[in-house]
Amino acid sequence: MSLKKREHITTKGLDDYFLGIYNAFKFVRLFFREVFKPPFEFKEIIRQCYEIGYKSLPLITLTGFVTGIVFTKQSRPSLVEFGAASWLPGLIAIAVVRALAPLVTALISAGKIGSNIGAELGSMRVSEQIDAMEVSAINPFKFLVVTRVTATTLMIPVLMMYFAFVGLLGSFLNVNQNEHTSFIAFFQSAFSPISFLDVFTGLFKSIMYGFTIGMVGCYKGYNASRGTEGVGKAANMSVVISMFLIFIEEIVIVQISNWIRIA
Amino acid sequence: MATKNKHAIRVGLFIFIGLIFFTVGVLAIGNINKTFTKTFLIKTVFDDVSGLQPGNNIWLSGVKIGTVKEINFNENTQVEVIMKIEKKSQQYIRKNAKAKISSEGLIGNKIIVISGGTPDSAPVENGDALPIEKTYSTEKMMNTLQENNINMLTITDNLKIMSEKMIEGQGTIGKLLNDETLYKNLEHTVATLTRAAENTQELTASVSNFTKKLNEKGGFANDLVTDTIIFNNIRQSVAQLKEVISTADEFANNLKDASVDINNNTNSPLGILLHDEKSAASLKLSIQNLESSTEKLDETMEALQHNFLLKGYFKKKDKNDDTE
Amino acid sequence: MEKLNKSDIIKEQVISIQGLYKSFGENSVLNGIDLTIHKGENVVILGRSGSGKSVLIKIIAGLLKPDKGIVNVLGMDIGSIDEKQLLKLRLKIGFSFQNSALYDSMSVRENLEFPLIRNSRHLTKKEIDHAVEEVLEDVHLHQTINQMPSELSGGQRKRIGIARTLILRPEIMLYDEPTAGLDPITCITINELINEVQERYHTSSIIITHDLTCAKATGDRVAMLLDGRFVAQGNFDEIFNTEEETVKQFYDYNFIN
Repeated sequence: MSLKKREHITTKGLDDYFLGIYNAFKFVRLFFREVFKPPFEFKEIIRQCYEIGYKSLPLITLTGFVTGIVFTKQSRPSLVEFGAASWLPGLIAIAVVRALAPLVTALISAGKIGSNIGAELGSMRVSEQIDAMEVSAINPFKFLVVTRVTATTLMIPVLMMYFAFVGLLGSFLNVNQNEHTSFIAFFQSAFSPISFLDVFTGLFKSIMYGFTIGMVGCYKGYNASRGTEGVGKAANMSVVISMFLIFIEEIVIVQISNWIRIA
Repeated sequence: MATKNKHAIRVGLFIFIGLIFFTVGVLAIGNINKTFTKTFLIKTVFDDVSGLQPGNNIWLSGVKIGTVKEINFNENTQVEVIMKIEKKSQQYIRKNAKAKISSEGLIGNKIIVISGGTPDSAPVENGDALPIEKTYSTEKMMNTLQENNINMLTITDNLKIMSEKMIEGQGTIGKLLNDETLYKNLEHTVATLTRAAENTQELTASVSNFTKKLNEKGGFANDLVTDTIIFNNIRQSVAQLKEVISTADEFANNLKDASVDINNNTNSPLGILLHDEKSAASLKLSIQNLESSTEKLDETMEALQHNFLLKGYFKKKDKNDDTE
Repeated sequence: MEKLNKSDIIKEQVISIQGLYKSFGENSVLNGIDLTIHKGENVVILGRSGSGKSVLIKIIAGLLKPDKGIVNVLGMDIGSIDEKQLLKLRLKIGFSFQNSALYDSMSVRENLEFPLIRNSRHLTKKEIDHAVEEVLEDVHLHQTINQMPSELSGGQRKRIGIARTLILRPEIMLYDEPTAGLDPITCITINELINEVQERYHTSSIIITHDLTCAKATGDRVAMLLDGRFVAQGNFDEIFNTEEETVKQFYDYNFIN
C-alpha cells in the first residue's frame, strides 16, 4: 500500500490534472515553435480566417446591435436622473470599447468557434484523419492547429471592432430616437472620452481571447479520446474551458491596464 | 516511462502554482502605484463620521494625499479614524492642523479634509493624532438652540416657584436655606444656567459666522440669499440671541452672588438676604427678565423657523414629532 | 520454417523487428515481438480485436514509440530516428486506415492531391492531375473524382484511402483491417486490390485482419498474434494444420460465425 502510494506525487486525480496542465503547456510551446517555422500555410490560414471570421458576422451583428440598444436603454434612466442624458454616448462608448465588445465577442466566439474547432479536430482525431496526415508525412499540427490558432488570434480582434461599431450603431439608433441626437454629434461625443489606451487594451484583450479560444479548441480536439463520445466532450470542454480562461484573463488584464491608466 | 511521467506532473504542478500566484498576485496588489509609495499613519477621533468608509480619500488643501485605512470605535463610542498618508506630504501637515469630514462634491463620497496648521508648528509624525475642527451642521445648531430653550424654561419655573414660596413666607426660611437639597438644586440651577449661556454664546458665534458667510460676495450661499428680508431676520435673531445671553449671564451672576453669599454666611443671620426687600425685588426682577428672555428666545426660534433655508429642517422635525 | 530460411538469403529485408515491447499504463499490449518482412512480400497478421495488431503497425509507421526492442524499417531504427528522417521514411510507407480516414472537408480529388502537393511543392498542376487520375484508375474509381467522402460507400472509401497512399509511391503498405465492416463481395474486391497493388507497385505489405478469407486471399505468409506474442507463423495452410488449441479455436470461430 505504501509502495503504491509513492507512485503518485499527490493523488491520482490531481496527478492526472497536473499532467494535463503539463501537456497543455507542451502544446502551447509546440505552437510557438511551429508558428514561426516555414513553410507557412498562408492559404489554409486565409481559408480558416474566412471560416472563423466571415461566417461569424451574422451572429456578431445581431448580438452587437442588441447589446448596444439594450445597454443604452438600461443606462438612460440613471443618467437622466442627474440630467446627464447627454453623457449617454460617451458612457456607452467607454462601456463598449473597454468591456462589452471584447468580452461579449469572445464569449460568443468561444461558443461558436471554439466548439466548432473542438468538434472538427476531435472528429478528425477520432476517425484517424490526423494520423493519416502524419503518415503521409504532413505535419498535422502545423496544418490544423497553427492555422486555426493563427486565424482566431487574427479574427477575434476584427470581430471585436466590428462588434463595437455595430453596438455603437445600435446605441445611436436608440439615442437618436429618444434625444434626437444627430449621427455626427453622437459619434463625436462617443469618441471623445475614449483614449488610445482603451482601444489598445480592447485589442490586446481580443488578441488574448482569440488565442485562448483557438488554443483550447485545438488542444481539446487534437487530444480527443477515441470514440464519438470524445468528439462531443472535446467540443463541450473547449467552450467551458475557454470561457473560464477568458474571464480569468479579463480580470487580470483589466487590473494591469488600470495600473497603466493610473501611472 | 514512470519517471518521465513524474517529471511531467512536477512541471505541471509548477506551472499551475505559478499561474495561481501570478493571478492572485495581480489581483491582490490592486494598485501598483499605491503599493510602492511610502506612507505613514496618523489618526483622528470624531464623534460622528457621517458614513466615511475605509478607502475614502484624504485631502490637504484640495490635494489627495492618502486614504482612510481603518475606522474603529474607541471606549467612548467615538470613532477613531486611522489615515494612511503619503510620506511626501508629511512635511506639509503641521501638528496643529485640523481634520474634518466633508464630501467630494454634491453627491460624492465622504472625505477627510485636513486644513489649518501654522508653519511654526512641527510637521506631524507617524502615529500622531490630529485634532478635529468643530463643524456646525444646521441640525446641530437647531438642536442646541432648542435644548437651551428648554433648559431656560425649567430654570425660570424653578425660580418662580422658589420666589413665590419665599414671598408667601411658606415654611420657615431656615428650612428653606438649611434644606440641603434645595441649596444643591439652586447651585445646580446656576450651573445649568451658566452652561446654557455658554452654549448660547457659542451658538450665536456660529450663527453670526453663518450669516457672515451669507454676506460674502460671490459665495454660493450669497447667491441663494437674495431676499434681504430673510437675511435681516437672521441678523435680528442673532442680535436677540445675544441679548438673551447677556441677560442670562447677568442673572446667572446675580444668582451666583446670592449663592456665594449664602455659602459664606451660613452662620450669619439669614434675614439679611431674604428679609431684604431690595434683594427680593432684585430676584423677582431677575426672574422676570429671564422669563422675557425665554419668550424672546421662543420668538427667535420662530423667526428661524420662517427662514427658508432652515424650513426644511423644521418641516422634517414636525413630521417626526407627528409620527411619534 | 526451413523454406523461409532459404528465402531469407535471397530476398532483401524490409522490416525487421526484434524483441518489441509496448504497454499503455498498466496494460501491456506487445510482449516480445519478432518479425521480418521481405521485399515484395504480403504478410497477414491475424489476431482477435484488442490483441495489439494495430499497435504493431502504428509503431512501424512511427505513430507510436516502442517501449523496448528494435524496429528497423528500410534500414532505419524507428526508436531512435529524428523528426526529419521520420518524415522521409513516412513517404515510403503507405497506411490504409480501418475507417479510411478520408478528409471529410475535401473532395476526392483534394484528398488525393493533398499528400502530393504538401510533399512535393514543385509539381505542376498537370503533373498532379495526371498522378491523381492514375491512382484513381488503379483503384477503379475514376467516376468519383469530384464527390465528397460522405457520398461514397464504405468500399469506395477504402479504395480512395488506398489510392491516397499510393499517390506517394510507397515501398511498404500497411493495411489496418482492410475488410472490416464490408460485405463479403466487396471484401473480395478489396482483397484483389491488395494483390494488384503488390504486383503493380512492388510493395511489401503487412495486412492486419481477423478475417480468414482475406488472410487466405492476400497473405504470402501469415502470423498469428495472441496476447502480444506471435503464436504461429507460416503460410495459411501450415498454420491451421496445427493441433494447437488457441489457433484452432480462432479458425473454428471464424468460419462458424
